[in-house]
Parts: sequence; C-alpha cells; structure tokens
Amino acid sequence: MDVSNKLSFDRTDAVNAGKSVYSLIIVLLIWEIVTQLGMIHYYFLPPLSDILVRFFEMTVDGTLIYHGYLTVRRALVGLVIACTLGIVIGVLTARNRIASWFFDPIIEVGYPVPVIALVPVFLFWFGTGDLSKIVLVAIGCFWPVAINVRNATRDVDENLIWSARMMGTSDRQLLRRVIVPASAPGIISGIQIALPISLIITFVFEMVAGGGGLGHIEIQGVRTFDSVQVYATLIAIMILGFALDRGLRQVRFRLLNWT
Amino acid sequence: MVEGHVTISNLEKVYESGAERTKAIDDLSLEVPSGEFLSVVGPSGCGKSTLLYLVAGFLEASSGTMAVDDQSINGPGTDRGVVFQDYALFPWRTVMGNVTYGLEQNGVAKEERRSRAQRFIDMMDLDGFEDKYPKELSGGMKQRVALARTLAYDPKILLMDEPFGALDQPLRELLQDHLLDIWRDLEKTVMFITHDVEEAVYLSERVMIMTRHPGTKKASVEIDVDRSQDREDIIMSDEYTDMKNQVWQSLREETQPEKQL
Repeated sequence: MDVSNKLSFDRTDAVNAGKSVYSLIIVLLIWEIVTQLGMIHYYFLPPLSDILVRFFEMTVDGTLIYHGYLTVRRALVGLVIACTLGIVIGVLTARNRIASWFFDPIIEVGYPVPVIALVPVFLFWFGTGDLSKIVLVAIGCFWPVAINVRNATRDVDENLIWSARMMGTSDRQLLRRVIVPASAPGIISGIQIALPISLIITFVFEMVAGGGGLGHIEIQGVRTFDSVQVYATLIAIMILGFALDRGLRQVRFRLLNWT
Repeated sequence: MVEGHVTISNLEKVYESGAERTKAIDDLSLEVPSGEFLSVVGPSGCGKSTLLYLVAGFLEASSGTMAVDDQSINGPGTDRGVVFQDYALFPWRTVMGNVTYGLEQNGVAKEERRSRAQRFIDMMDLDGFEDKYPKELSGGMKQRVALARTLAYDPKILLMDEPFGALDQPLRELLQDHLLDIWRDLEKTVMFITHDVEEAVYLSERVMIMTRHPGTKKASVEIDVDRSQDREDIIMSDEYTDMKNQVWQSLREETQPEKQL
C-alpha cells in the first residue's frame, strides 16, 4: 500500500464517489416527492426541503452550533477520560499479573453491560448536569478502549520484545519504546470504536435529562409537535458524527503510516 | 584476537506448563571458540531454537551453565545479537530507525549513529531504502535490514535462527555468501541454526548434529574446505560431498529412527 496513493484524489475517484451517491439521491428525491404530494402526514415526515431550510435557519441563528458544541464537549471530555483510563488499565492488565487478576474479570463483566441503563442511577447520584453525562460517557467508552488496548498489548510479538532487549532496552523502557508503538493500531481502533458510543450516550442522556445539547432540542421538537426541528437536529448530529469519525481516521492515517 | 567464546556445559531445559514437563534439551555441552562459524542441525522439534534462545538469554536454563568469555549468561546482552527467521523488525521504524535502534539504546550520539548505521546499510546493499518502512520491503531485504540492525551495535556473537528459511533458493545463496563475507571481515563468532544440511555444510567450519527430542549433541563434523574458491568449486568437490553426506547420514538416523531398530 503506497502512501501517495491514498492521499491523491483523481478523476476516477471522483466518478466512483459520484456513482456511490446515486442511490442516496434517488431515495432523497422519492422522500421529497412523496411528502410534497401529501402521501405521508407532515408530522411523521416533513418534506426534505422544509427540513433543510430549518437546518439552515437554526445554524445561522446559532442554535445548532451552541447545542452541538455542548454535545460534542460532553462526548469528547468523557471520551478523553475513558481513553486515558482505558489505555493505562489495558496496558497494565496485559503486562502485569496482579493487574490482570484484578481487572480481567471486571472487564469481562463490565463490557457487555448496556450503559444507557445507568442513566436513571446517574440522575440520582450526580443530577442532570454535565458531570452526570461526562461520567457516564467515560464509563461507556472505557470498556471498548480497555479491551482493545489489552488485547493489542498482550499480542505484541514476543520476538519484537526480545529484539529490543538484546539491543539493551531495559524493562522500564520496553513499554514506551516497543509495547506502546507496537500496539498503537489496536489502541487507535479502540478509540475509533468508542467515539460513536460517546455520542450515543451523550445524546440519549440529553434527551432524558435535558440541560441543552442536540439531544435536548430534538426531544423538545417532539414535545412541541415540531417534527421539522426533530429532523433538522438529526441532520446536525449526523454531520457531527461523520466529521469526528473522519477526523479520527485522519489521525490514524497520520500516526500509523507504517502499517 | 576477537572475543566471543561460548562455553556451554551440562545444559538442560525443561518446559513446564501446569503439571506437564517437557524436556527440550538434555545434558548438552558445547564449546564455540571465538571467531568460529558453527551450524546446528537437527530434526524439527529437537530444541535447536531453544538452545539458541538460551544462549541469547531469552530463556532460562533449568540446569547447567552457559558463559561468554567466562562471564555467565544472565539474560540478554549486547555481546550477543540474534537474527530471527521472521526478521522481528520494528514495523513503526524506518530502515534507518531500525538499524540505529541498538546504538540509540547504548547512548551513541545522533550523528555517529547515522554514520555507523549507514555503513551497515551500504554493506547490505540497502542504500536508497533508508526511509522505507519494513512493510515496503521484500523478505530478502527485511532479512538484510535485520542483519544490519544486529551488526550495527557490534555484538561479538551472532545467533542466527534459520534466518534464510523463508527465502527462495537464489536469494538464500546470495545472502549466504553475503554472510560469509561479513563473518570473515568482522570476525564474529556465529551460531547458525538451520534444518538445511546443504546450508549448514556450505557455511560452517563445524556442524553440530543434534539428536531428536529431547535434544542433545549427537555428533560434530569439521568442515574443512578451501573457502577462497567459488561456490560451484566448493560444492562440486569430493571432500565437500563426503562431509555433506556424513552430516546427512547422521541427521537421517535421527529423522528415521524406526529404520535403526
């Protein structure tokens, strides 16, 4: 795989990208026609054009930008906490017998728990504010990060470790010089899996507990029978999720150009 | 005189997993004088790689002693350099980054590192590939990088674990001749593990044949050929063929034990 290949974007790529959106365009057109003809009740599904106009208005007046900021901030702060803890505990669990004895069962049990079920508990404990949301995001994102980091770190090729040791790498240096770089692909995969989870948890929590954010204004749309607002907010969260995921892929591509 | 004299006496290695005990090496004594090129051949599973990793200090002996220049082996050290069959290059480092790694660990200044590494990169015909990552290289090139990486920090002893096993015949021969040149120029002690009799006899001054599981020293054949000749002349000569047959016969007794009975 050549590096230059991946970054360049030539005509065939453009044509292929064009081809791949044809089906999408057809679906959107059918949506617009069907709703304009009144075949579906406006409340269920408003015409796409109405939604786009509202999306534009809500962006220009700053509503979506402000609430989008609240959502992204909660999600990312929680994600960063989860990554910090997940990387440290994941590496420890893989390389240290006592840490493995302690954390392995916890990770096995904790990973499949649907964290959303903890929202009511968190409302008791931490109230409806940012703290509640951030802590829950951190918990929900911790598992995929910790598991991926643990597995990647555990599976580092023994020969690489031996190579490093024969060239004078001490046990203390081994972690930074060999184990972390060798498991970097797995570590970043864990973060990539955790990113959408952080958005899901934030979004759901905002719907339930309010306190601003895109989830809050979406559920507000439902409560005021304003379905156009619901869909406009949906578009905003889709764009945010897509942009963050692409950003992270870029980071991966930069950091792991050797894979 | 070069250093790098290996002494192994009454070495024993037992692998324990749970209640199961598997004896890999049984009462093996061996002397590798400094500067010697010794090959070790044996049936698969005879513990020849285990022997190498014991000398490297990666594994701990169950009993017996191992020493380099009268210093007891106690873990890996920069007096010994291993070349692995699967190269074991650091994939996140470039060719230059891999070759300078050992020098970096031993506190050599940056400029000095690069110039020393460059010497071995050139020696291995890798110039122009300094900034490539291992994934961009072929198997033969990766093995040359691995060899350059090990030579760069100047170990007295090269421990090679079937280094050319994954390469095709012409490439293997090319690297064999390359290795011989290096061995002559740099005066290293070499312990070379292989299952290929031809390779062992062609490369070495002495070939040790190991018994089947658990492995110990079975026989040792001195390979006395005039190495100033070309490969063809060496391989075609009667004495070479005799020595090769001797090793082959000895190894065959181990791989086909039922015929012995």
